[in-house]
Amino acid sequence: MFEELKEIRDAALRELEDIKSADELSELSTSVLGRGGKLTAILRTMGKLSAEERAEMGKRANAVKQELTERFEERKAALHELAERMKIEREAIDVTLPGKRRALPMGALNPLTLVYRQIRDALVGLGFTTFGGPEIEYDEYNFTLLNLPPNHPARDMQDTFYVNDKVLLRTHTSPCEARALKTLPLPFRLVIPGRCFRVDEPDASHSPIFMQMEGLVVDRNVSLADLKGTIDAFVKAVFGENIESRLRPSYFPFTEPSAEVDISCTICGGKGCSSCKGTGWMEIMGCGITNPHEIENCGKSPDEWRAFAWGVGVDRVACLKYGISDIRLIYEGDGRFISQFK
Amino acid sequence: MKLPLKWLKEYVPFNTTPKDFAERMLLRGFEVAEIIPEMDGIDGVVVCEITAIEPHPNADKLRVCTVDIGAEAPITIVTNATNVSVGDQVPVALDNATLTGGLVIHPTKMRGVASAGMFCGNEELGITNVEYPGCENGGVMVFSEKHPNGQRIQEALDLDDCIFDIELTPNRPDCQSIIGLCREAAAALGERFNEPIPGYVEGEGDCHDIAQVTVENPHLCPRYTARVVTDLKIEPSPLWMQRKLRAMGLRPINNIVDITNLVLVEYGHPMHAFDLACVADSHIVVRNAAQNEVVYTLDGKERVMSDDMLLIADPTKGIGVAGVMGGLNSEITENTKATLFESAVFRPENIRSTARKLHHVTDSAARFIKGVEPVNAELALNRAIELVEELKAGKVMGGRIDVCSADLSEKRVSASVSHINSILNTQISAVDMAELLKSINISTEVDGDTLRITVPHFRTDIEDGIETDWDIAEEVGRLYGYTNIAPTLMRGDTFRGHIGEAFRDEDNVKDTLTALGCLELYNYNFISPKELTDLMLAEDDERQKAVKLLNPFGEDQSLMRTELAGGLLRTAALNLNRKTGFGRFFEVGNVHFDNDNLPEERKMLGIIHFGAEEDFFTLKGTIEELFEKLGIENARFEKGGSPYLHPTQKAVISVNGEKLGEMGSVHPKVLRAFDISVPAYMAELDFAALRSHITRVRKYKPLPKHPAVQRDLALIVDENTEAQQVIDIIASAKARVLIENVRVFDVYRPKLPGDKGIPMGKKSMAFTFSLRSDDHTLTDEEIGQAVNAILKSLKFRIGAELRA
Repeated sequence: MFEELKEIRDAALRELEDIKSADELSELSTSVLGRGGKLTAILRTMGKLSAEERAEMGKRANAVKQELTERFEERKAALHELAERMKIEREAIDVTLPGKRRALPMGALNPLTLVYRQIRDALVGLGFTTFGGPEIEYDEYNFTLLNLPPNHPARDMQDTFYVNDKVLLRTHTSPCEARALKTLPLPFRLVIPGRCFRVDEPDASHSPIFMQMEGLVVDRNVSLADLKGTIDAFVKAVFGENIESRLRPSYFPFTEPSAEVDISCTICGGKGCSSCKGTGWMEIMGCGITNPHEIENCGKSPDEWRAFAWGVGVDRVACLKYGISDIRLIYEGDGRFISQFK
Repeated sequence: MKLPLKWLKEYVPFNTTPKDFAERMLLRGFEVAEIIPEMDGIDGVVVCEITAIEPHPNADKLRVCTVDIGAEAPITIVTNATNVSVGDQVPVALDNATLTGGLVIHPTKMRGVASAGMFCGNEELGITNVEYPGCENGGVMVFSEKHPNGQRIQEALDLDDCIFDIELTPNRPDCQSIIGLCREAAAALGERFNEPIPGYVEGEGDCHDIAQVTVENPHLCPRYTARVVTDLKIEPSPLWMQRKLRAMGLRPINNIVDITNLVLVEYGHPMHAFDLACVADSHIVVRNAAQNEVVYTLDGKERVMSDDMLLIADPTKGIGVAGVMGGLNSEITENTKATLFESAVFRPENIRSTARKLHHVTDSAARFIKGVEPVNAELALNRAIELVEELKAGKVMGGRIDVCSADLSEKRVSASVSHINSILNTQISAVDMAELLKSINISTEVDGDTLRITVPHFRTDIEDGIETDWDIAEEVGRLYGYTNIAPTLMRGDTFRGHIGEAFRDEDNVKDTLTALGCLELYNYNFISPKELTDLMLAEDDERQKAVKLLNPFGEDQSLMRTELAGGLLRTAALNLNRKTGFGRFFEVGNVHFDNDNLPEERKMLGIIHFGAEEDFFTLKGTIEELFEKLGIENARFEKGGSPYLHPTQKAVISVNGEKLGEMGSVHPKVLRAFDISVPAYMAELDFAALRSHITRVRKYKPLPKHPAVQRDLALIVDENTEAQQVIDIIASAKARVLIENVRVFDVYRPKLPGDKGIPMGKKSMAFTFSLRSDDHTLTDEEIGQAVNAILKSLKFRIGAELRA
């Protein structure tokens, strides 16, 4: 009987070698280990044996059962693994086929909005807060309070659309400086975006309507060095860490000292090219220490408070940043243009 | 302002390249806009010598010249010039040479004979007898002295320098002069400025005996100083003077006029010379013009004056518009025997307004507008008289007429060294500051922390007052170099920076609409009055109250927009025209309404959809999704809206009775007016109203514990029944359960009478809703009762029947 048992085991292991599928395996398992299987059958004949032999036989049969069960399970796992691998192979796709889109194409923000947000967000990180004022302004706020009294020659620097002799389309966001100085508690740091208007015939680099962003810091001890540092921070935020900025002397009635801000050429990186007229620098905006007359005109003491400010053309920055060659595209509304700024 | 390098070199040693000089000036606040070669546009022209001349085999009027250009081999030039002979040295333009007018020279065959280039005349080289006497000979220019063959024409003519075109800021009127620019240039070059000081020419006799000046309005003319020259010999000015004027772009006329022009350039002070014989009683009267008084100016034009304008007159007539232009009646002519040189100071505001009203801003006027000063007026006059002597142009009379109410005393100011260092965040010593200021002729004494400064007469921009420290900080900063100031970030209080709620709301709206496939517009605010007509707005419509510009580009851009609709429609037209394929756009922008003070400004949101895939409901879907994102609940769409919308396809959008805006299909007539060939759908919403209904803080609603059941009802209703009506009835039906999420999901209008059992004048509408209770699962009985209550209410309120 012991031999029969061994024969059952050996035969099962031989058959296992040829098993190709889970079904065949399950059939084999049933035929050997099942209720009507060969192993059960042989155990049923144990009654003929002596008690000792019976005990020995039981032990051996159990060992065989355990061995076969383990081997069948191993095989089952291997077969499952194989099947899964084949399924994965069958599921192969061409990853280079086009992606599926929603029926609706994605919209896009105007590049003006993108640049405005980049500047704003960089400044909010430096403690600035948003502020705004009206597009149609009093002459007093746009000019007089800012140290530009009537007939000041520098008024000619900004050709103005007038509504009447007291009201005009603001030529810059600076009237908001006067509004802020008059109404807000000091100190403050403000970023002021808005549309401005000047009598400039539209061409590739001029638009009679443009978007400016004013920065205004009022505090007790701010300096030209702080102005440099603040401008450099947002220049780098908008154009990248590798872009340098510099200040060079200029004149604006509302600031003193005044400066123009140049950034290293975004096209050639500062080596000199046709875009920067070979200088390696591009002018982006004006800035300066706020003229003490302006602070005084707005009812604050220039002995106590010092301020600095700048006004940057968001359009100009957008043109430089995105390589837009004609400013009019920003305002024209051609979908093929706007849709590039996703 | 132009600064010829040759002129600069007369006063200042020039120790660097033009490019480096330009960079140094830039960093001191003087931007060199352009470095113009003296022979602008001329390149590739050299001196050559004609070694042989042969007749042309095929043309009588051409000759074939062998010329030496200093190279190994001679070249051949074919010419039609008749004024050249063997041994002459002439300018020749070689391959790729450029001449005036952008003309480019290439080798060419002339009637079968190859010519390597072209001989040049004075016109092709852009020069006149002033630059090279005798060059204006009608033919090829011939050198009268020996030059090395192959020498560049610029070297041969000594026209190899450049002219700096320098942009001036309005605070530096003193630099509208060669002298002023040289002062800054010398400091930039680190050199001493050998400033020429014109001497006073004594002259003979006393001009007060024959001439007099009366200033009736000293406010508008703080100084009028004059000298008289007799026995004039009017002739061309010497070549050196003509060359200087031409380099500055001025045309030489005669010695007297040229003197005034040269002084204008050198000192930046406009002068005028009157023919004294034409001034009645030799008496100059500076007075306001009479209203409509007429003066004929030098350019021959009639100028009608008004009484706020300043006139130069004699006792009988006007002889010039003060500061703008002299009169034709007292012009210097070849017969002029005696002249009065005027050097005056006029009030800039007044000259500005006069020049503007006369639409004539002359060189003189431009300088008066920017500002001149009384000490310089005297220097200029002295310089003019010095030139008269030098040129022997006439006999200078003794004495100087001077009607002066201006303050000529030296201005002294003081500034705080520590304050300046604090403004700049520098540690410059007082002595170093004084040294920097001295480099531009501002003399300064150091007194502890105080700089005691004598302001030179030409620095009118430096004020004595609260801004003095800032004025001096600006000078010190720019001379020290802004690039030498290390950047810092602000110290002191820290701030909680933030983006204001209105700005964040705008971001949110824009981002949501972008996600819904819309492209963002920034349309111009300027509109034409026709736009309001094209939009079919009624006479009394609020949007007719547009703000009108006094000085628009033209009638078609004369109003500030009162609606975004026009801009949206023009966008649609442009994109359809260009077949861009895009059909969803929006804009957030302001509109303005005229009133007595500042116009009312209102921020609006405009959305437009157009194209085959769009309809009223795709636009409505966009708006609904936007509202969902913003948490604007209970929005209602009810029939109505502006005249430019389709009369039966437009809706007013409101929340809790407050109007947010409107939407609809665009009226077909309006589409035609804007040249739009497809249907378009447009919404305009008041941004402030929209913002006021945004849900700021969303509160969690507990999830239902007991399941809801979904029920659908297909109803037969009157043709004109609106879905909202039915939804309101269902939602408010008196049932003992919660009725939620009522939506319409199908509408069917019979195509034929009795179609699908729907009678004439009726339509079928299908609704779905859910029924639920907070405290238990509904029984079939409760559900049945609720549906019955709903049907009963529908029947009672609008006669709706359940569709069979």
